[in-house]
Amino acid sequence: MTEARSETWLAPSVPVLLIAVLIIAGAEVGGASMVKFKLELARWARGTMLARPDTHGLVGVRDVDEQILDEALVKFDAGLRLFHMHAEGMGTIIIVSTMVATTLVRAGAFRRAIVLLITVGGAGYPLGYLLWSALIPFYGIERGKTLAEWMVWIPFGGAAIVALWMLAGALALRLVRR
Amino acid sequence: MRRPPLVLVFVAVLMIALGETAGAVLSQLRPQTERYARARVKANASVHGLVGAADYDAEVTSRAVFTAEAGLSFMHTHAEGLGPVILLAGTLAATAVPWRRMRAILYALFTLGALFPLGYLVYAVAVLEAGRDEGTALAEQYVLTPLGSAVILALVGLVMALGRGRPRAA
Repeated sequence: MTEARSETWLAPSVPVLLIAVLIIAGAEVGGASMVKFKLELARWARGTMLARPDTHGLVGVRDVDEQILDEALVKFDAGLRLFHMHAEGMGTIIIVSTMVATTLVRAGAFRRAIVLLITVGGAGYPLGYLLWSALIPFYGIERGKTLAEWMVWIPFGGAAIVALWMLAGALALRLVRR
Repeated sequence: MRRPPLVLVFVAVLMIALGETAGAVLSQLRPQTERYARARVKANASVHGLVGAADYDAEVTSRAVFTAEAGLSFMHTHAEGLGPVILLAGTLAATAVPWRRMRAILYALFTLGALFPLGYLVYAVAVLEAGRDEGTALAEQYVLTPLGSAVILALVGLVMALGRGRPRAA
């Protein structure tokens, strides 16, 4: 890539842009659905938890059980909110950082690795919050969190973090070599 | 669209990477972070006003630890948000501001302002080392206010330049 070419931004490939836009659109739909179906979602989560008293430590005493259910419902709602926020943010980060990589990282294989890791990691990571919310009624807050961590947050979030440091390193190298 | 100078792009990407990492630290290393924060509050007992009464000290310590964790959380959100904003604003300056000197000033202010989220890292550390109120004031006065002002000034300059200038020739 010539210096003159890298004076203007190069767009990332269409599949990368499509994934980023899809995750942003998913975030928007998620946010709207949280508001529109708030009652239905809470009712479903509550019903699912009541059907699994052992999982949630429900003892049949109304005062105790209501507190446990409330706490789980707050976390269930928090998971949906965090999905909304992180999907909006990560969609933007995918577009911006892959554009930087496409324009400024010269080594082809290294550039492709950065773009792939940011795209897959950035798109997958927010889904972990959705998964956590879905798991809470079935497995409880902590067990649901552990599952979401190992299945989504650590692998996908880790991929995005590694890719961003690779990109920062490539830019630093380019700055030093100028 | 033209791209801004490499140093601006580097600082913006660095902030995004730091923001992501801060988020991971907050979530995966929460117990270790909290333990470290509690140890620092205990080591700086006098600046935190610990008096040796267990109930009172526990409340003061918890407030300081909560404030320090909030600093890390703010760093995570601000770095993720400001990084893309700086890249976009820098791109607008590179593409649409026709005056070379004005562009150079805007680039300098945006690059400096991109470091704003680091102010929250300073905030988190300062709260533990200098006390909650003193630490917050230090971070605000010496880091957050100057760097935040640089971004605001640059954005005002960009708006004025966009309002007055013709786009740069291709």
